Amino acid sequence: MTTALSIVLIIVSVLMVLLVLLHRGKGGGLSDMFGGGVSSSLSGSSVVEKNLDRMTIVCGFIWAACVIGIGFSLK
Amino acid sequence: MLTAFGRAFRTPDLRNKMLFTLGILALFRFGSTVPAPGVNYQHVHDCLIQNKDSSVLALVNLFSGGALLQLTVFALGIMPYITSSIIIQLLVVVIPRLERLKEQGQSGQAKLTQYTRYLTVALAILQATGIVALARSGRLLPCTDSTGAQIDLLYSTSVFRIITLVVTMTAGTAVIMWLGELITDRGIGNGMSLLIFTSIAARFPSQGTDILRSRGTATFIAVLIAGLLIIVGIVFMEQGQRRIPVQYAKRMIGRRMYGGTSTYIPLKVNQAGVIPVIFSSSLLYLPQLLGQVWTSNHTFTNFVAKYFTATDSWTYIGSYALLTMFFTYFYVAITFNPVEVSDNMRKYGGFIPGIRPGRPTAEYLEYVLSRITLPGALYLTAIAVLPILALHFLPGAAAGNNQSFPFGGTSVLILVGVGLDTSKQIESQLMLRNYEGFLR
Repeated sequence: MTTALSIVLIIVSVLMVLLVLLHRGKGGGLSDMFGGGVSSSLSGSSVVEKNLDRMTIVCGFIWAACVIGIGFSLK
Repeated sequence: MLTAFGRAFRTPDLRNKMLFTLGILALFRFGSTVPAPGVNYQHVHDCLIQNKDSSVLALVNLFSGGALLQLTVFALGIMPYITSSIIIQLLVVVIPRLERLKEQGQSGQAKLTQYTRYLTVALAILQATGIVALARSGRLLPCTDSTGAQIDLLYSTSVFRIITLVVTMTAGTAVIMWLGELITDRGIGNGMSLLIFTSIAARFPSQGTDILRSRGTATFIAVLIAGLLIIVGIVFMEQGQRRIPVQYAKRMIGRRMYGGTSTYIPLKVNQAGVIPVIFSSSLLYLPQLLGQVWTSNHTFTNFVAKYFTATDSWTYIGSYALLTMFFTYFYVAITFNPVEVSDNMRKYGGFIPGIRPGRPTAEYLEYVLSRITLPGALYLTAIAVLPILALHFLPGAAAGNNQSFPFGGTSVLILVGVGLDTSKQIESQLMLRNYEGFLR
């Protein structure tokens, strides 16, 4: 049970990293991280981005479920 | 002030954004408490109590809100992203190709952000492996049970389990990055800095109760008052700026009139923000890390333990102060380029009254900037070093580590910086609809 969940978790984790990297990065660099320059990214999200969001959310749910599942099965 | 908050919540658009941000932050905090798969939570809890005062990994633990030492899913926190931003920022100065990208404006910046993201994942893999290896060998939280045997933090140390752990932590970092970007995109404020903000703020209650329990009510109240004074001082210094007037010439393009306005260039006293402190404390943390990994070499380990791990040693305080000073000037030089600013001003017909456009303007800006950065650098150094000194010299105060001191320099600096920035953003959103904001 734990092994199966772990395998699923590894696959979903890798998928998750890839999906997040596919997103267009928002907000740039350190300078506006700690109250530096003023930057406004006024770009609407495209259809691609929307679908990507949906897939990432689904992936995130499976990921969280796996983590919690392993946590319980190991106890 | 409070009515402004009420108005902010009555504006549906703004309310949604604020609730979205709060929701994401709650999700982030939740993930910071879920133990990673294969970690024995009970043992970790016991070991944490044994290792309460260890200063090793304190800074990283600070940025992850205590999640690191608990080995949770989000153990690495935002640290890989910060490190990779720092690296990319430094590389922009060194590598011409990246510099050209930066000059391209929006599209180049997007590409740089993308590089930062890739580097974040790479660093996350590295750090996750390092931390899991430390946890496996029992060096992350060295602790023993009543019989003197080593307590294992992990259920099993098989290769498969270790890989699962590393991959999960890496994915956790990717998720954090995404959460931050979601806040930047759809919520209020800059996501990454808000995540750091919550991590640091989340440790305040437990640290507060620690002080209350171990030192008594009087010390607790004294610390609270001192913290309040420090916050007031930091807000004062952060808001300080010199406004250099700029006049724009009137221009006719076709039948329309452009320019003719007068604005100013704000030169902040602390142009660099918190970054110099983060840079220098990250750098000083490197020898500690090396000494930890390289335990077999005793001369090196002892040297590091004597001069760099003990935060009350003069070498540590001295090098911390010097590095902070250096990085303040360095970072201001990176972020504000007088030649570029003066060129841009000239392009749009702007000038500083009394000074010719072009090179004299650049020289003037450079002069003012280097003068105004000196108090900024001194202030940052004081903020960074004073808490250590205070802890060292105050009677009855144990020489603990500065990062776990609740109102210690770095954390308050970050809290105030992010707080100011976020409230300014909410205010500007509010200004779209009403004319009265928080700050009068």
